Amino acid sequence: MEFLSNTARDLFPLVWSGMITGCLYALGALGLVMIFKSSRVVNFSHGNVAGFAAFLIYGFSSGVLLELSWGMAVLLTVMAVIAIAFATYAVISPLVFESDLTATIATLGVGLIAQGATLLIFGADIVNLDLPVPRFSMSVLGLLVTGYDLTVLSVAIVTIGALFIVIDYTKLGIAFRAISENPFAAEVCGLNLRSVHLFSWIVAAVLGVVGALLIVPTTFLSVTTVATFMLQAFAAAVIGGFASLPGSLIGGILIGVLMNLFTFYVSPEFSSTFLLGVILLALNIFPNGILQRVGGSRV
Amino acid sequence: MSDQNIAFESPATKLQQILGGNLTSGMLTFGLVVVLCVLPLFVGGSWMFSLGICFANSIGVLAVSTLVRYGGEVSIGHGFFAAIGAYSVAVLDTRYGLSILVSLPLALTLGVASGVLFAWPSRKLSGIYLAVSTMALALAVPEMINNADGLTGGYEGLYVSQPAIAGIKMSFQRYYAALIVLIAVVYALARLRQSRQGLTLLLSKAHPAAADAFGTRKDWARIVVMGISGGIAALCGAMLGFAGSTVSPSGFTLWASIFLLVGSVVSFYGLTLVRALVGGAFLTLIPQFLSASGAWIPVLYGLALLGVILFGHYLPRIKDRIAERKGGLT
Repeated sequence: MEFLSNTARDLFPLVWSGMITGCLYALGALGLVMIFKSSRVVNFSHGNVAGFAAFLIYGFSSGVLLELSWGMAVLLTVMAVIAIAFATYAVISPLVFESDLTATIATLGVGLIAQGATLLIFGADIVNLDLPVPRFSMSVLGLLVTGYDLTVLSVAIVTIGALFIVIDYTKLGIAFRAISENPFAAEVCGLNLRSVHLFSWIVAAVLGVVGALLIVPTTFLSVTTVATFMLQAFAAAVIGGFASLPGSLIGGILIGVLMNLFTFYVSPEFSSTFLLGVILLALNIFPNGILQRVGGSRV
Repeated sequence: MSDQNIAFESPATKLQQILGGNLTSGMLTFGLVVVLCVLPLFVGGSWMFSLGICFANSIGVLAVSTLVRYGGEVSIGHGFFAAIGAYSVAVLDTRYGLSILVSLPLALTLGVASGVLFAWPSRKLSGIYLAVSTMALALAVPEMINNADGLTGGYEGLYVSQPAIAGIKMSFQRYYAALIVLIAVVYALARLRQSRQGLTLLLSKAHPAAADAFGTRKDWARIVVMGISGGIAALCGAMLGFAGSTVSPSGFTLWASIFLLVGSVVSFYGLTLVRALVGGAFLTLIPQFLSASGAWIPVLYGLALLGVILFGHYLPRIKDRIAERKGGLT
């Protein structure tokens, strides 16, 4: 009886905070999936570029590079990140049309450059980057809800909602869906593949910045923080099937909750190993959602 | 998928044709082996040490290239297999006082076994899905090592000090052991290329349906290739441990695995001694030259990776263009 009540007491907050971080994983995963859906490339530089962006915001607002207000720093960083996404796509776009695997390796190169640039400009030190969020907390049904939680939740809902509306109802969104369904037919119908690819790269980069900004206050900012956070985003995308936007949202929340439960009940020291297991399991149990393979082979 | 794989390999094959036939490359390899064998007589201790590490890294580059060439897949998780090899050597050395003569076969066996073990659940994955799972594998490595600190020494790592053959100077042993293993791996890979089994694996990569008809299932081919590649990577780790004399988790991070892929790309996924040495030297000597400013290393590796890939992409086009122009003139 006591065990049950203990479990109920622990479980509810664990699931809640898992869902909050899960929303952030979903933001990261949505970026990966957008790029994958349109250009069939897995963007391994996603985490490093987002981490670089978080450092840029820190640099612009703290006086390391510039001394601006928080809003201006974010605006400037978003512009910088869009420029980076543009440059990345410009470099790898010839490869995208030749082989998706080669283009995927090329994104590793971009990730290495972003990592090196972070180290060069900001060094390997740990810094603090806070969000200007209202500091309050209230208790709902025995659950501690903080201003940070509500900020994350509302930002995630607004961002993801806006993204889904764009994809469902605008011309650009329809072009995006057409290209992810059948790039060849879409091109025959007169769609410009490159501009839609570019759209998804830019949206993904901005989503990465939002995710990085929101995840950093829970820990600290170092060269590796955001890159590790992106492993969870990868796992979320894999669970969601890598080619489904709603799937990656569900995957993100699932990963957030599972990770929380695992670190609380089993061990906090094996979280990456646990993610490895989750990824392998997900890829084996739902291969159809993940791999669009033709069943059986005939000669 | 098979179309993509062929396209994926084509720059390397093209380059091989450009670089010349079998005879000259055979003589070049032989000359290189002779030079490397007598080199310790002329260079100092620190160079011998770096070259030993360079040979070990070359073996790791070969492991990744083998997977690319025979499996058509890309791995950014080979640090895992290298860690298995390195820790088999280091643990046997520190805990049981056994030399590399005993631990090297064990490292190879464990490497092959773990390659097969990883390939089994991921046998149906290809392309980017496999790449993502290998990334997860690589990220899990430091965590596993640190948590098994009773065996592995945790963060501090282990020291490899047992000589392979007593009485010979340790610096010579470190150099020659790595060189011998590298040459053995290159030789084995050359034999594999000519063997029935090697051809079967290549067929299964290029034309899975045809290989299926001849009785080679794609899953089986994948598991075999991962086993071979994992075994070679374990040899790389074992040699890194022996030639570098220390083994610690910081050497087997995700970045170490990505660097192995960078080396493989820089060597155009080559399986010959020269190409492997190019990749290994890139991974070993550049950090040494840049040791004063470590942050430039990832930037440089990233630029090199992009540069080589774009070069491989544009080279055939430029060659075609030149050929066209020549044809137009005559």
